[in-house]
Amino acid sequence: MKAIIKSLLALAVLAPLPLAPAAAHHSYAMFDMSKTVELKATVTRFKWQNPHAFIEIDVPVKGQTERWAIEMTSPNNLQQSGWKRTSLKPGDKITLYIHPLRNGSKGGSYVGVRLPDGSTLGEVK
Amino acid sequence: MRRTRNILIACAATLALGGLAHAQSGGSSPPEGLAEGQGAGFAKGHYAALDSLPDWGGVWFLNRGGPSTQPKLKGDYQSNWDAWKADVAANNGVEKRNRSNCSPPGMPRIMQLAQYPYEFIFSPGRVTINQEAWMQTRTIWTDGRTHPPLEELDPTYMGHSIGHWEGDTLVVDTIGILDMLPFSNGALHSDKFHVTERIHLNPDNPDVLVNEMVMEDPEALAEPFKATATYRRDRYGVLYEFQCSENNRNPISPDGETVFE
Repeated sequence: MKAIIKSLLALAVLAPLPLAPAAAHHSYAMFDMSKTVELKATVTRFKWQNPHAFIEIDVPVKGQTERWAIEMTSPNNLQQSGWKRTSLKPGDKITLYIHPLRNGSKGGSYVGVRLPDGSTLGEVK
Repeated sequence: MRRTRNILIACAATLALGGLAHAQSGGSSPPEGLAEGQGAGFAKGHYAALDSLPDWGGVWFLNRGGPSTQPKLKGDYQSNWDAWKADVAANNGVEKRNRSNCSPPGMPRIMQLAQYPYEFIFSPGRVTINQEAWMQTRTIWTDGRTHPPLEELDPTYMGHSIGHWEGDTLVVDTIGILDMLPFSNGALHSDKFHVTERIHLNPDNPDVLVNEMVMEDPEALAEPFKATATYRRDRYGVLYEFQCSENNRNPISPDGETVFE
């Protein structure tokens, strides 16, 4: 728990973004939708599959690496806003914006991303 | 030429009868309200009539937003909901679950899901709603059958739905929904729960489909509960596969907590 709090402090906590997914595969109450956190990360895995797409990333924190899991909406919904199965690949260096898990674990709900070429998807700062 | 005409006459006669003489071939009897040889199982010859139905082509995504109202519950249903609400509040807003996130919500919440689109398939005697979520299929019988008596109906996630067209509005009546499934924000219903839906295009925007739902329950609800869902059209969209067990990152712990992996 201590390590988790430390890592959250190391991340910039940004102002809330107006994004509130409604009824889905499960409730979003496990995420703190009032907080948006910026993660500079390297993609280790991108899973494009229902019920939710997932991004797994490595986040460097004070010389160490943390593995984070970021849940997204459904692939079909993501496709509506420009995502594709090939939008991310392992090794991509990205900046992710997420709503963090309330319990402090290394996970969150996707808000937006800046891709290696500088283009963005979703809501970014 | 003459032969063609004879065939046409034979076809017309078949239509009028509802079908050729049909020996019972399977194990099932005609459904409640229909006679032998009638119903959706005798679709041939009735496809042309479908062209008079409204244009619901493409897939439909739920529009988010709109204020959600709270159903007015009765007796134990109210006190159970109060306890549920207190429990959720004590748990950081996270609802505890007694079943997997890989099991669908059932009616009517299956019609109110934001992330996964729907498609409506018309065929003689039925409307089929394919749902990306959990790859669920909902059948609305429009062949004139009635509901079986409630005591003969097996309670299910989707319930038993019959429908008819009033102009361009599909009116659907559903009973027999499992009483373990919350119908709105943790609220439960009895086995007398009854849902009516009026589904139609928005007259001001044909790319919006409207589903006006009214829920009634003599045991659980003090007054009918109304909820309206609207959906936006994606004309070239398709449903994606949904195999929950292949990507289940949210298992349920023995304490009912949704785990995040």
